[in-house]
Amino acid sequence: MSTKYVLIGNSAAALAAVDGIRKFDKQGEITIVNRETGPAYSRVALPYYVAGEMTLDDLLIRQKPDYQKIGVSLVENENVKAINASAKQVELESGKKVSYDKLLIATGSETIVPPIQGLSSIPHHYLWTLEDAIGMKKAAERAKTAVVIGGGFIGMLAAEALRKLKIKLTIVEMAPILLPQLLDEGAGNLFLKAVRDEGVTVKTGALVSAVAKKGDAIEVTLKSGETFTVDMAVVATGVRPHAAFLQSSGITLNKGVLVNEYLQTNQADVYAAGDVAETKDFLSADRSIYAIWPTAIDQGRAAGVNMTGKRQEYPGSLGMNVVELFNVTLAQLGRFREGPGDSVKMLSSKGSEESYRKVVVDKNGTLVGAVYVGDENGVAEMGVIHSAIKRREKWQGFKDGRQPQFTYGAVMHNVPRY
Amino acid sequence: MKQIVVYQEKCTACRECEVSCSFSHEGAFVPALSRIKVADFYEEQFYQPMVCVHCADAPCAAVCPTVAIQRQADGQIKVIDDRCIGCKMCLLACPFGVMGFSPDKGVAHNCDFCDGDPQCVQFCTPGALEFKDVVSAAAPAKQKAAAALGLPQT
Ligand SMILES: Cc1cc2nc3c(=O)[nH]c(=O)nc-3n(C[C@H](O)[C@H](O)[C@H](O)COP(=O)(O)OP(=O)(O)OC[C@H]3O[C@@H](n4cnc5c(N)ncnc54)[C@H](O)[C@@H]3O)c2cc1C
Ligand code: SF4
Ligand code: SF4
Repeated sequence: MSTKYVLIGNSAAALAAVDGIRKFDKQGEITIVNRETGPAYSRVALPYYVAGEMTLDDLLIRQKPDYQKIGVSLVENENVKAINASAKQVELESGKKVSYDKLLIATGSETIVPPIQGLSSIPHHYLWTLEDAIGMKKAAERAKTAVVIGGGFIGMLAAEALRKLKIKLTIVEMAPILLPQLLDEGAGNLFLKAVRDEGVTVKTGALVSAVAKKGDAIEVTLKSGETFTVDMAVVATGVRPHAAFLQSSGITLNKGVLVNEYLQTNQADVYAAGDVAETKDFLSADRSIYAIWPTAIDQGRAAGVNMTGKRQEYPGSLGMNVVELFNVTLAQLGRFREGPGDSVKMLSSKGSEESYRKVVVDKNGTLVGAVYVGDENGVAEMGVIHSAIKRREKWQGFKDGRQPQFTYGAVMHNVPRY
Repeated sequence: MKQIVVYQEKCTACRECEVSCSFSHEGAFVPALSRIKVADFYEEQFYQPMVCVHCADAPCAAVCPTVAIQRQADGQIKVIDDRCIGCKMCLLACPFGVMGFSPDKGVAHNCDFCDGDPQCVQFCTPGALEFKDVVSAAAPAKQKAAAALGLPQT
């Protein structure tokens, strides 16, 4: 008898799980249940849609026939309300029930609504779903000025998209630097300068305490007492795993859905992957959630394989991010802020004065992280460092006092970048 | 599948490959835009041409958030320009550092075998590059070495 697989979610993690399942099980019945409508789209590409550089069609990463081709039935526009693990059933908001032999929870993240006085009384925009992006784009067509609340990854992507539309921006960020999850202080200050040089107002170490409607405009009040008005407000103060609907399911939750090294939850035949899952960390003994595309892919693929009954251990999540903003390329890998016992190696780079490259080595001499700010050429080298971290390579020092030594690294760093 | 095989010991770092690659793809002699790059250790007299190996388990393709990197029927790993948003995730994923980027076009690029007639191979006078079928006796050994290093197998 063929296995009945049910996947909740239709994005990075779920689609990678389909690949994992189909690698070993060509016959099993796969059903994807998704609360959104249509084939999968790329969340990562949403800012390009807002900026008018991509159409809605361009965003799609699957077409309807792709699902049929690999034997996946897509149940759209259905929100999963609860999981009944003992009956092996998924309960939908519409009242329908779907039974499974193996279940994957791949429900991703949801945006955090910050405690800002008056927020619910003004029009404001998040940037997480396609619907959010459509709303933001519409509002941006009429706006001349905007505030972006939160200078993290999503906030900065939203800011960059709005800037391309020639909207005058104010970014408010609690931390002393922008992108605090991605940059250390040195890199952050370099980036902050680049953003300000582009004419963007950035208020760091600042908190929005209240917002209010002022005619067609929005009045923003900071904790410091300062006020200013804008046409449009974007809220990007973070995301959290979308797991609240599992409260009564008997599935163990911490920050996200807790899974073991095979992506299994505490309930038999129930797995979780992607932004919603709290997994083993690659570098530490802790559990971690990195809400990023690559970890969703890796976890989804491994979960899919394990759901077929084959065993594939997930080595743990490693933070990695790369983005180009305000003409600067930024990249981060693993533990890029040194902790106790870690040491830091600054790499000087050829050709560019404006770049910042740092590698972090732990007390055992193992490479654990890196951060880079500069032009796009440095990212290829970060790829080599990435694979060295994954191989748990030891730091072997510099060659000629400047080129880092590790497998492939010696070669890579001698590649002329002109 | 057919691949560009590198005979490192024959490379003289003349960089004809870089120049011919950039000319055939970008219409200009800009080695920085070449998809093959020669690493040089002048003191050691050691030169290593670096080029995409079209990994079997291509990390660049797996990580691309817009499915802009797709394997072709002939095994080639190809960037579909129209789908690429220039996020550079593939550059961060490639363990060999050979995924490149065209700043003008804003898209990633790797070796595409020049439609079956790689110009770097044509212009490599010392014969350090060859375009040939790699399913050979050496293949299993290469796979094993790659696996031992935890690298994607080619
Ligand atoms: C604007 C933006 C830019 C980004 N840029 C980058 C980037 O450059 N690099 C990077 O690494 N990451 C980036 N990310 C993050 C990346 O998109 C996520 O990490 C990734 O999408 C996670 O995949 P996932 O499959 O776990 O979850 P998601 O992509 O969030 O998908 C969750 C799925 O579950 C469905 N769902 C949720 N709840 C239910 C329910 N109760 N019932 C039914 N269906 C449900 C949703 O409809 C959706 O299909 C970006 C995200 C955004 C929003
Ligand atoms: S990961 Fe690197 S070497 Fe492998 S196919 Fe992609 S670009 Fe080529
Ligand atoms: S740069 Fe282009 S090809 Fe590379 S991962 Fe991003 S979208 Fe895909």
